[in-house]
Amino acid sequence: MQIIDRQKVSNEIESLKEKHGKDRSALIPILQALQETYGYLPYIVLQETAHALGIHPSEVEGVASFYSFFRTKEKQGKYVIRLCQTISCNLAKKANVARQLENELGIKFGQTTKDAMFTLEYTNCLGMCDQGPALMVNDRLFSKVTPEKASAIIADCRRDFLKSKFPKVVPSDVKKSGPILNHGLKAAESLKTALAMSRSAIISTIRESNLKGRGGAGFPTAIKWQLAGAAIDEKKYVVCNADEGEPGSFKDRYLLYEHIEIMLDGMTIAAYAIGAQKGFIYLRGEYQYMKKYLEEVIENRRKNNMLGANILGKDKFNFDIEIRMGAGAYVCGEETALIESLEGYRGEPRNRPPFPVDTGFQKHPTIVNNVETFIDAAIIVSKGPKWFLEHGTAKSSGTKIFSISGDCERPGIYELPFGITIAQLLKEVGGENAKAVQIGGASGKCIAKKDFNRAIAFEDISSGGSIIVFGPETDMLAVAKNFMEFFVDESCGQCTPCREGNVKLLDGIEKLEKGRCSVTYLNELLKLGETVQLASKCGLGQSSPTAFLSIMENFKSEILGRVPEKD
Amino acid sequence: MEDKEKIVDQTASRAPKSTTASTMKAPENMEAIGALIKVTIDGMDVKVPMGTTILQAARDMGIHVPTLCYHEDLCISGVCRICVVEIDGQRTLQASCSYPISQPLVIHTHTRKVRQARRHILDLMLSKHYGECYACVRNNNCELQQLAKEYGVDFYRFGHIDKPTYGLDNSSYAIVRDMDKCILCRRCVRTCIDLQEVGVYEAFDRGAETHIGTFMENPMAELICINCGQCINRCPTGALHANDPSDAIWAAIDDPTKHVVIQTAPAPRSAIGECFGLEPGTPLTREMNTAMRYCGFDKVFDTNFAADLTILEEGTELIKRLYKALVLKEQVALPQFTSCSPGWVKYIEHFYPEMLDYVSSAKSPQQMFGAVIKTYYTKMHNIDPADIVTVALMPCTAKKFECNRPEMNDSGFKDIDYGLTTRELAQMFKEAGIDLLNMPKSEFDDPFGEETGSGVIFGVTGGVMESAIRTVYDLVTGEKIENLFDKANVIPVRGFEGIKYAELPITKVGPVPEILAHLIPNWDWLKGATLKVAAAHGTANAKKVLENIKAGGKFSECHFIEFMACPGGCLGGGGMPIPTNEKIRAARAKAIYSEDERSAVRKSYENPAVLKIYKEFLTDGPCGHLSHKLLHTHYTPRGKKLI
Repeated sequence: MQIIDRQKVSNEIESLKEKHGKDRSALIPILQALQETYGYLPYIVLQETAHALGIHPSEVEGVASFYSFFRTKEKQGKYVIRLCQTISCNLAKKANVARQLENELGIKFGQTTKDAMFTLEYTNCLGMCDQGPALMVNDRLFSKVTPEKASAIIADCRRDFLKSKFPKVVPSDVKKSGPILNHGLKAAESLKTALAMSRSAIISTIRESNLKGRGGAGFPTAIKWQLAGAAIDEKKYVVCNADEGEPGSFKDRYLLYEHIEIMLDGMTIAAYAIGAQKGFIYLRGEYQYMKKYLEEVIENRRKNNMLGANILGKDKFNFDIEIRMGAGAYVCGEETALIESLEGYRGEPRNRPPFPVDTGFQKHPTIVNNVETFIDAAIIVSKGPKWFLEHGTAKSSGTKIFSISGDCERPGIYELPFGITIAQLLKEVGGENAKAVQIGGASGKCIAKKDFNRAIAFEDISSGGSIIVFGPETDMLAVAKNFMEFFVDESCGQCTPCREGNVKLLDGIEKLEKGRCSVTYLNELLKLGETVQLASKCGLGQSSPTAFLSIMENFKSEILGRVPEKD
Repeated sequence: MEDKEKIVDQTASRAPKSTTASTMKAPENMEAIGALIKVTIDGMDVKVPMGTTILQAARDMGIHVPTLCYHEDLCISGVCRICVVEIDGQRTLQASCSYPISQPLVIHTHTRKVRQARRHILDLMLSKHYGECYACVRNNNCELQQLAKEYGVDFYRFGHIDKPTYGLDNSSYAIVRDMDKCILCRRCVRTCIDLQEVGVYEAFDRGAETHIGTFMENPMAELICINCGQCINRCPTGALHANDPSDAIWAAIDDPTKHVVIQTAPAPRSAIGECFGLEPGTPLTREMNTAMRYCGFDKVFDTNFAADLTILEEGTELIKRLYKALVLKEQVALPQFTSCSPGWVKYIEHFYPEMLDYVSSAKSPQQMFGAVIKTYYTKMHNIDPADIVTVALMPCTAKKFECNRPEMNDSGFKDIDYGLTTRELAQMFKEAGIDLLNMPKSEFDDPFGEETGSGVIFGVTGGVMESAIRTVYDLVTGEKIENLFDKANVIPVRGFEGIKYAELPITKVGPVPEILAHLIPNWDWLKGATLKVAAAHGTANAKKVLENIKAGGKFSECHFIEFMACPGGCLGGGGMPIPTNEKIRAARAKAIYSEDERSAVRKSYENPAVLKIYKEFLTDGPCGHLSHKLLHTHYTPRGKKLI
């Protein structure tokens, strides 16, 4: 047993406070560092952290237990193997890899080997959907894993994995690029353009371009910026939502790798436009391996006066960016949950109104935008709104970056104009014989063949960019189950409809699997699904039954009256 | 002269902002700038100030909207979703409790969608709510049960759990947790963090696994819990309740060899009627006396006697400290803190153990009374103290812990054997078939006299301070406090503001009264001084005062500070009838002040029974040798670390 010296813990926390801050918003970075040191978060560490920050130990444990990357009970293994459990990886035969991992290690998922070498667990989408099945060992990523390769990876770990060489993770393939990805801009080019403009002119430009948030909800970016800009406060914040957790989505990871300078331009322009001094990139916990690279880029920008004081000679324009790591909670992609997480709380969405543009990070006006939105905004400032309006539809201007995976010939990243129909998209990716398409990840709709003529646009089927293609052999009930299991686990758990309602829907799916669900009860569940959509507190809850409802609607005949193999 | 702070400062709420609805700041002069907003609820128009929640607006119009996680005393949470309403033009339903009105809205409170959602939410809660209503302490006093009735729940649409998941934690003397009945409204979390700053509870895990837990999953007895029971008062179901000793009390009553006496604190008499359907604020002191005798208690005493005794002991201690500080120039801990509230005492033992010297060494009235009964009273009546069972009717759950403190047995026996709450006594009455409202009236038993005004106001925040001022002022100046405050009502220390502050100038001094003659030669050293006092209730407010003292702020210059763990003081105690809110507490306070005004004796030093005990038994006077042995205690620096 490990004996932990209280004094040593206290000293360590004090030095972490110097680094991350003395108030509660430093809590999650401090816990992350402590977990790194101790392999888990023993109670004494939680208690000392609480007292160092002037909060109660129960609050710290509440936070630690919320995020799946923190462990309070048991020390994790030296190597933590996290296998992606999203549907795309299922379609790529993940089950065989999972079985082989269990065979090799002699443990089940959720367990740690007795020699404390390996912990085996499932994780949500690793953003490698076009190269699945994917797994992570600590912060190293492996794609296209086969059972044979799984065994080799474990053998490698046993031989001191840390010293062996692995090929750098290949960012996903761009199968089709368009005006956004071919922007041809150099770092700070659009920032320079912006700094020559007035603040209101920047917001007008964005407004004229009709840019809407690329995260999926489609809120007009200009309105967000304008409201935050008009708010009177000494402190304002710009937050980049890089918590790409939507199953089937991997475009932000690519954008952060390949277009980080443009994204940082976008954030800096936003800061200038609204009058913010500080920015955060809330990076998904699973993307830890990118942090070092992103920090180098940011540091380089500081050196070149693209961040810091009087940026590019603009008097009194001071702005800096800090990267905050998520800790394994899908709900933190919801903007108010993300802000809660930044403040050191459980990632539970807030009541709205008031909105973050008015009452955001530590009650100051805050804008939260998606990675892609900042990139689009930067390019629009450079190339003008007209250029952007040339693409897409009247209500959905511009192009959209899609992450496409599943049963198709050419999975990968596509830049396509808004308004494209599903049939056209399937042709593009080689998925013409699809039975159904999931638009917008787990929280999106499952579209059946009869609706393939519908368009992807804010006015028709909205999407944050995740598209999963289901081939003719796919069991749609299994798809519904995969998504529902995801929400049962990823709901923040604060409001009743989402926390309890999804459990009942999952129960119902299990009844359907066994062929033991009456139509009366199924109809009750469909109504319950409506309640969850209508009465949940946040966007996650409101969209959680969408996949279930659309699958039940479109594939009822396939789903009812099943006879299980072993009846 | 006075300075008051709000009981719960919502802006300073420490609860997560996800469970804190930020209300907009309402502009002044609303009419002039047109900040009144027209909303239509169920077809009726109303104008409301900007920032009013839909729930407030609806309730003001007399429209009933059900709530569960909402509680008037707490910050708004918006998590249970039972209060959803439909707003024209909005895709989703909105929780009315947390939706501030900032523009004209057309709202409907009972559309198909609303009714379906509410029924579903109830069905979902019931599917995980283990147990049956008839086997529950909150039967007929349960918000979930009430809602199930309101919505005509006649079957479990989504099933019903048939096995417990968590089991019962009855390790604590004070609070029993039965998490199988929890519906995750998080009122207890908000109560414990926001109102009390103790932080016993928090939500753990997430998704379907979310539950309310304690640090390290510790049982209640081993936690840093002050036993105040405020969580019980705000729990909508039977998930939290007090550890009920009534079976043991009945057994003592049934045992012919035992002499069972009960003392009754001031606050329960102001509220017990609520358990029998009365509006809050109807005192039933004398009916209760008869009912207790009917139950079989051998004697019924008034804790007011011990409250007056406390004033003399604690007041004398204060005078001794002041004399040491001002005349002898010795180092003494000032201001002196009161010690009547066992929740407060445990709070300071845990969170500010370094400040324990400030706390008066006087026991609480409950414990003083117990010690007096097991010595003076037994001697007087020639009863073996081993055969006496002392029960204390208290508004308080922390008293259950206090009477079990190992140091509370200076007579050689436990001062108090059982702490019984108002709710539990009401239950005993019901079990005995007592129709309390129609009981004949009767007085308290001698030899501890009848109720006194100075004792009864102990039940409300500021009351201990008021009693102390009434006595100390008279004893020091030789004049009557009535000259300063009409009818001796010390208004500056009354009211529900979280922290109250008052100054009392001593312009002249009188002769030293006989009862204090053994301690000081004269009062000259107090002439021209200004007595500074404060009163805080709710331990979150106590924390503010203590931090202020540590930082050398204005409270460090005080001489005497009253602390009560519970919001409102004892009348808001954890053993009082449920529900509680500021309006109910105000009604109870009114009842208590009316009992005070009605009393013949309203100053502790005038209580004949108290004067008698100093003459006959505690002959070396207040803070003398014997009272030190029996009526004073010491504290344990517990600290706030579990490991």
